[in-house]
Formats: sequence, C-alpha cells, structure tokens
Amino acid sequence: MKTSLKDRLLLVIKYVILAAFTLLCLYPIFWLILSSFKTNEELYTNPWGLPAVFRIANYAQAIVQGHILRYFGNSVIIALSAVVISVILSSMVSYAITRMDWKLSKLTLNIFIIGMMIPVYAMIIPLFSMFNKMGLLNSYLSVIIPQIAISFPMSIFIMTGFMGSIPRELEEAAVMDGCNIYQIFWRIITPISKSSIVTVGVVSFINVWNDLLLPQIFLTDSSKMTLPVGLTEFQGQYSTDYVTMIAAVIITIIPSVVVYILLHRNIMEGMVAGAVKG
Amino acid sequence: MKKVFGNKINIAVFVLPAFLLYAVFALVPIGYNVYLSFFQTDMMSPAKFVGLKNYINLFNDGTFTRALRNNIFMVMGSLIAHLPLALLFGNILFQKIKGSHFFQTVFFLPCVICGVAVGLTWSFVYNSEFGLLNKLLEIIGLGSLKQAWLANKNLALFCVIIVVMWQFVGYHMIIQIAAMKNIPGSLYEAAGLDGASKWKQFTAITFPLIKPILKVDAVLIITGSLKYYDLVAVMTGGGPNHATELMSTYMFYQGFRTLKYGYSSAIGVILLLLCICSVLLSNLVFRSEAVEY
Repeated sequence: MKTSLKDRLLLVIKYVILAAFTLLCLYPIFWLILSSFKTNEELYTNPWGLPAVFRIANYAQAIVQGHILRYFGNSVIIALSAVVISVILSSMVSYAITRMDWKLSKLTLNIFIIGMMIPVYAMIIPLFSMFNKMGLLNSYLSVIIPQIAISFPMSIFIMTGFMGSIPRELEEAAVMDGCNIYQIFWRIITPISKSSIVTVGVVSFINVWNDLLLPQIFLTDSSKMTLPVGLTEFQGQYSTDYVTMIAAVIITIIPSVVVYILLHRNIMEGMVAGAVKG
Repeated sequence: MKKVFGNKINIAVFVLPAFLLYAVFALVPIGYNVYLSFFQTDMMSPAKFVGLKNYINLFNDGTFTRALRNNIFMVMGSLIAHLPLALLFGNILFQKIKGSHFFQTVFFLPCVICGVAVGLTWSFVYNSEFGLLNKLLEIIGLGSLKQAWLANKNLALFCVIIVVMWQFVGYHMIIQIAAMKNIPGSLYEAAGLDGASKWKQFTAITFPLIKPILKVDAVLIITGSLKYYDLVAVMTGGGPNHATELMSTYMFYQGFRTLKYGYSSAIGVILLLLCICSVLLSNLVFRSEAVEY
C-alpha cells in the first residue's frame, strides 16, 4: 500500500487536533488536583507549577469548616435511594409494557417517553407548593421523589428497548415449570437484563448526583444540602478562600469520575441511547 | 400463558407504582403549572386570577426579554459550536485510527462532571487575578487583553458558551459516531475502489446517511441550551447587569427570591412551549426521507 506524504501529513494533523482537545479536557482536572494542595498565596504567584509541599490542609479545612462530608453524606443518601427505587420501578413497568398482555401498554409507554422533552422548569413551582402543603419541604423525600419521577422516561425507554429483545422461550418454559410472574421477573428477567439495569442505574446516579436545581429549591436547611448546593454556599461564604473551594470541588467530582472510569461503556451508551434510537 | 401474562392484578402491581408516582409528581405538576400561570400568587394570601396578565407583563419586562434573547443567542452559539466540532471529532475517530477508544472516553468525560464543579473550575480559569486565561495571555505576549472576563458584559455570555462547548462536545460526538457505525462498511469499500477521496466519501456517504441523527442532535442541543442553569448560576449568577441572565435563572429568581409564583410559572410554560416548538420545527426544517442502504 502506498502511504503518500499527503496522507501522513493528514494523519499528523488529526493527531494534533485530538491531542489538543485531550489536553483541554484533562488539564483543568489536573490543575484542580495540583491547586488543591497549594496555599492561596501559591495559587496567585505560581498558578501553573507544582505545589511547594503537598499539604492536605485544604481538604481538612473543607471538611471541618465547610461541612463537605455532611453534604457528601446527604448526596449519597439521596442519589442511592432515588436510583434504587427508580431502577426497580422502571424495570417492572418496562417488563409489563414489553411482555404482558394489556391494551394500554403502547399508550403507557408513549406517556412515559413524552416526558423526555419536558423541561423540569415546567413543574418545579407546583412541586414546591405540593411539598409545602404536605410538609415535605426540607426533607430528603422532597428531592428523591421528583428525581425518581424525572428519571422514568429515559430509564423506561432504555429498558423496554432491551427487554423487547429477550426471547420468549425462556418465560414460556418457566411457566410450564409452574413459575408465577414474580418468579419469572426476579429470577429470569432481571438477571438477563443486568447490563441495561446497570446502564440505567449509573446514568440516573450521575444525573441525580450532579443536579443543582431541585435540592437548591427544596432543601433550604444547610444540614440537608447536597454537594452541588453545598458548593454554591461555599462560593458565597468563602469567596476568597479559593484553595479550600478547589478541594471541595475535587471531593464533589471524585464519585462521578470513578464511576465513569469503571463503567464508561454503560454510561456513554445510556446517555446517548435516547438520541440514537429516538 | 394468557393466565400468567394477562392477569389484571399482576399488571397493576407492575405498572401502577411507577405510573402513579409519575402522574402525581410529573404530569399533574405540568398541568398545575399552566393553571398557576394565570394567577398572581405568593402561596400565602389567596391567589388572584389575572388571565394573561403574567404573560403580557413578561414581554414588557426588560429583564425577561433580555433573558429570552440570551437564550436564543445561547441556542445559536451552541448549535454553531457543537455540530461542526462534534462532526469533525466524530469523523476523525470513526475512521480506524489508533487510540480512538481512548479519545472517545476522554472527550466524553466532562459531561459526567457536576455542572457546579465545572462552573467553579472555569470561573477560576477566567479569574482576573490568578486565572489561567490571563496568565496564558501574558505568556504569549498579549498581556494587554487581560481582564475580568466574566465581569465584562459583552464577553460574559460568550465565555459561558465556551464552557458549554467544552462540557458537551464529546456527548454530541458520541451520538454522531453511534450513527456512523450504522453505515454499512461496504459503501466505503466500494467508494475506496472507485477512488473517491476521504472528503468525497464524507460528503457523499457519511453526511447524507447521518443527517437524520444530526436532526435529533440539533433538537437535543436546542432543548439542552434552553435548560442550562447550573453553569450560569455558578459562574455569573446572571450578571453582570443581566448580561448572562437566562430564562431558567430568571425563573428561579422570580419564583424563589421574590416569591412571584404565578409570574415564575408563566416563564416555565414559555420554556415548555419553546422545547415543544423546537422539536416540531426541526422536524420541519430537517425533513429528510427515510434512508435506504
């Protein structure tokens, strides 16, 4: 094969473009990590270089003064409960829609899927008023419940797509063996659907973990706040203590980055699924 | 079989928990939001029916029209920034190039990071005192351009759009690569045998065949840029002097700072309508026949 000079030059240009954007994606994170070990003075005089000593004082400060661990705990409670409930309920609906015999299944699916284009802004004021009347404001539930409701369209869209492709023979055999529908669902369908369940779970987790708007509106008590809201509080209170804020940012992004490193295939697939099949 | 899969009680057990939750906490609020937008209410004193007055006031409210303009600017900016760049990256990485998987994974990374963290990070980049952008300009000898970027009312919105692009280009790239993977490889082989250049292959095969996905992607970019909130809330808070105010930030301000719930709901309705319109409109503009391979 001939590789002309032109082809090779083109390849070099491509790699230069790719490398430049890689640097642009990763450098800010790298810079945050380095800066989180610096003092504020160092940040001003030496923003690019290594810190003189790797001191963990900023992390200590973020945890003790900034209550970052408390926000972290709140985020974990809210994200995990929302994700677990959402995954269980949406896999049940998806199973009923793809496998059970009932006339309204198609309509139900469409009602859920239409939710994908509805902005959350069209429902926050009524939700605020409802939670106010129910006395739920400032409780974890006030964030968990809407997060679950919001996650349904995407989750059900992905799971119905997967469950629709499972061969029927398995369930038919199970019925012959005398299994009831619950046994079929828990012992046969959920194990087979594990990959789509993981996909839906991690994507919902990232969405809930990163969300600012809902917790900002429904949780006003600082002991209940999640990390993103905590960060904005931080920004207001310690607006000049940049290095502590940077340490807090690092603590906030670690879980999503770790989850992404472990499960990036599922996450990429899940986040674009709505677009590609839609 | 029918007895197991057609049992009404079983179906109800599987469907109702999710459906009721969805209906009560997503569908009903949307209806209630439209209803509220015709009232003047602070949720304490009795609501007063004002008809379309909230909407009329909105369009006479300089800050709201500013936010609407900024949103439209944001939509245009995002379309111009995302589509070509994502297409460029996608097209490079779709061809068998070493490290393709690595680059895809890295480019996608920013969009799983919390918007608040991204906003804070970039506000450090734009910072006037130790910000990386100013330091960089100093190094390359353009020190005269140094400034407080986010405090400049002409540049602030532009600076935000750059961040949006940084965060989401990888996302749109992956969508387009997924579409490219569905194109049968035999088309490229045939084109290669006929001596078609890479550019010719792109314009004659790749681009026409992924047009349906570009349409979907454009809708995602438009509805996405109508929904941005955290970046602006963190980086500028809508300032300086409403230069980066978006409908979402203004709605938050009117609803939860000045407690004009009816007024705020009207903004919510407008956002909802804009999202629906953009879906319908793009169906019209990008109308393309079903593709046969």
